[in-house]
Amino acid sequence: MDALIVVFATGLISMFIALAKKPALVLGTAVVGLLAAITLLALQVNHPYNLVKYDGLEFDGVSIYYSIMSLVFGLLIILGGYSYFSRESEHTGEYISLILFSLVGSMCMIGFTDLFMFFLGLEILSIPVYVLAGSNKKDLLSTEASVKYFFTGSFATGILLFGVAWLYGATGSFAITDIANAIGEGRASGSMLGVGILMIMASFLFKVGGAPFHFWSPDVYGGSPNIVTGYMAAVVKLSGLFAFMKLFTFVFGEASQIWVSALYVLAIVTMFVGNLSAIRQVKFKRILAYSSVANAGYALLVILPSSKDLFSHLKALEFLWFYMLGYGLSIITLIVISMTVKNESDDLEGFRGAGRKNPWIGFFFTLGLLSIAGIPPLAGFFGKYMVFSHAYKMYPELVIIAVINSGIGIYYYLKIFMTFMASDHSEETEKPSPNFLQYLVLAICAIGLIAGPFVLM
Amino acid sequence: MDLYLIPLAFSLLAALAPANLVRYVGLTGALASLVSVGVHGAYYMSGWSVVLFEPGQVTTFGLTFKMGYDGISLLMVALVNVVTTLILLSNLNRETASLKGFNALVMLMQFGLIGVFTAMDGIMFYVFWELTLIPIFLIAYWYGAPERKPALLKFFIYTFVGSLAMLLSLIALGNYADNYSYESLVTVELSAKSAFWIMAGFFLAFAIKIPLVPFHTWQPDTYTLSPMAGTMLLSALMLKMALYGMIRWMVPLAPEAMQDFTPIIVILGIIGVVYAALIAIKQSDIKRLFAFASISHVGLIAAGIMLFDKEVLGASLIQIINHSLVAVGLFLAAGILEDRLATRELNQMGGVAKLAPRFGFWFAVIGFASVSVPFSSGFIGEFLLLKGLYGYCWIIGLIAGTTLVFGAVYTFRAYQLSMFGAPSLESFKDLQWNEVLSFLIISVLIVLIGVYPQAILDFVGPSLDKLIQSTQADITILP
Repeated sequence: MDALIVVFATGLISMFIALAKKPALVLGTAVVGLLAAITLLALQVNHPYNLVKYDGLEFDGVSIYYSIMSLVFGLLIILGGYSYFSRESEHTGEYISLILFSLVGSMCMIGFTDLFMFFLGLEILSIPVYVLAGSNKKDLLSTEASVKYFFTGSFATGILLFGVAWLYGATGSFAITDIANAIGEGRASGSMLGVGILMIMASFLFKVGGAPFHFWSPDVYGGSPNIVTGYMAAVVKLSGLFAFMKLFTFVFGEASQIWVSALYVLAIVTMFVGNLSAIRQVKFKRILAYSSVANAGYALLVILPSSKDLFSHLKALEFLWFYMLGYGLSIITLIVISMTVKNESDDLEGFRGAGRKNPWIGFFFTLGLLSIAGIPPLAGFFGKYMVFSHAYKMYPELVIIAVINSGIGIYYYLKIFMTFMASDHSEETEKPSPNFLQYLVLAICAIGLIAGPFVLM
Repeated sequence: MDLYLIPLAFSLLAALAPANLVRYVGLTGALASLVSVGVHGAYYMSGWSVVLFEPGQVTTFGLTFKMGYDGISLLMVALVNVVTTLILLSNLNRETASLKGFNALVMLMQFGLIGVFTAMDGIMFYVFWELTLIPIFLIAYWYGAPERKPALLKFFIYTFVGSLAMLLSLIALGNYADNYSYESLVTVELSAKSAFWIMAGFFLAFAIKIPLVPFHTWQPDTYTLSPMAGTMLLSALMLKMALYGMIRWMVPLAPEAMQDFTPIIVILGIIGVVYAALIAIKQSDIKRLFAFASISHVGLIAAGIMLFDKEVLGASLIQIINHSLVAVGLFLAAGILEDRLATRELNQMGGVAKLAPRFGFWFAVIGFASVSVPFSSGFIGEFLLLKGLYGYCWIIGLIAGTTLVFGAVYTFRAYQLSMFGAPSLESFKDLQWNEVLSFLIISVLIVLIGVYPQAILDFVGPSLDKLIQSTQADITILP
């Protein structure tokens, strides 16, 4: 039995167990299944040579670490979003099993050794999210988000396949080791390879929300139900960035002259677009959407190859892991808190003083927001810091730009913070009242944000 | 470890304690912490470098978590504890002191400050440096004056951007070193160009926090609109982080760039001394007046530090302590006036000395300390600083010397307008026991240091020697 199969089976079981019309049962199944899968993965960490291999899938040490993070984020999302999922008890099973299936896709995207499996993983990851984005059926914005995400997402997938086809033409293989060898030995070169790589890069930038392919993200993030936004920001982005890095630094690394300058420019554009657009937003989730664009821009800094040696690449993978840990935990904290405040319009003003009405929520919110803004000693800072110091060796000017962007970013994070923690004019805001599960999720995130970097580093 | 754990534990305790006990929890925490520093001080032998925490393993990107102190650090830690105790003591009878959040945040701030002064790793220094920003921001935001929001936004962004510049410098420096521990960062040899930019990053962070003149625009508003305790924390402790940072980090890490930066910082500091003093003279808002006075005083200290000479550094440390104590006293006086007269306008005050003779007396004592009369700690500190600057360049020394004159003008103008003249009120509640005690402790300390400054100079002397040696060794290696 293996973690991937466990997650898939859990998805199936929780879909059918929903026939009993008992949401708690579905939740229990999902939690037990995910915990089992995480345990299985954690046991494999101790045996780095005991690879779990299938055709086209291979879970080595790094992939296992990323898979664990993906599953933990999925678990936190399911727990934190339970109040939303169980609103309509007949659909609870569907929502939760969709998330579980999507996690299967995320693991495929993390462990792929074959572009075909990578494509499958991407689709398994994305299709449930298209559905979930529209799960708030009576809300027009949610439907719009779903349709928009579906159309643009399919288009990006089309571009990806196009790129893969060119790549196949250039290298004669789908397997990433063969592709890497072909590029390394110089058998594949020229325009076919170049077109293939750039097409794949475009579709990746779309998935992680990098400029200029980010236009879907504010509408989709803003329209989707809060918890789905959280899932997109945490898990989808994590899988996308990891696959991006795996493919580009390890497989296309030898052909870096083709794509480095493009990614270099796009990283700068992504950071500025994200941060500058976020400044004028008034809706909470739209700010988060643009902030996630900006964060994708920071993450692109580690994907740019710092040197040729493998050790540095592995270090970069570790740094990206920490970066996503900080980002994911912060965004889950913020999203779960935004669910506990009654604020249908999602205007930032609707959150005024919420953190003062319930000091615990204020405390968790402070941690989440400061972490995402990159203020020490929280996980978000260490992630950002590792990324910056890694990129500095090769691209000091890019790090200077990133630091300037962090400075711009602090403006809107501070605006959210001051609104949320304001002590006056907040009569209309209701006291946030999370349920037990949400408190649990927030507490886990808080522990992760405070202690995570120190324990894991 | 007790240095960190006591404030942290009391911060948690204050957040959870019942409302009627909260104010004593905070004060007990500060006293307990003070005692623990006293124990450290009693065992400390001059010249030691004590390691408090060192896990021994280095993370993949070079963080060592090393914490420790030498004489300079221990002196600053002691200052933090004394001043925090004074702040909590002087606030004891106020409404803010009964709030859980307030006490917890002050203790958290104390934790962060102790961390800043004992960090022996570049990244840990940055971590604690930023950690102090959150509590002070929340104190000012939650308990400050009604129109505080734009000022605080400016304050936060200003200081955060400065800190980012420092982070960039640390990243750049770490790139040349094995890891981020203080020892390996100090031994890095830099080319003149990279040293210049690295020092520029540190300089921006510290110049904003101190603040030196072109970077000072956040300061008067923030000081004025923060609650009394917030202003005290900002002026008495927070800006000392930057001065300490100059002594411990900026100059020793990139001494190669010193000859470029010394004239800049000295001139900016001196401009600050005169400019801020002139503005202070014309202020009608008492807190704003003291805020500009603070810029004026710290400009002199910053200029002195850049000379990096043992005598002047010792004087800077004395002046740092003096300024902290005086700032607490002055802002306490301003806070008392604001609290009981419900205004900060000097024009609307007057005659308080007649109504409240005790307050009149203690305010005068602090006022004299502020203008550095002989036998106060300010006298010896300013005298040595001015002497050093005069040796550096006589014109600069001469201009800096005007601080003594201007200082007397604005301090006594504030005193005269608020204390003498026709009373504006029927009655004025005189000082309460905790306020008297605060003034008394401040005055005793100021006089003690003023009479016997050698105690401090001996305490930090060997550590200063080491520090100066490390910078000189670094310079001579490079052509």
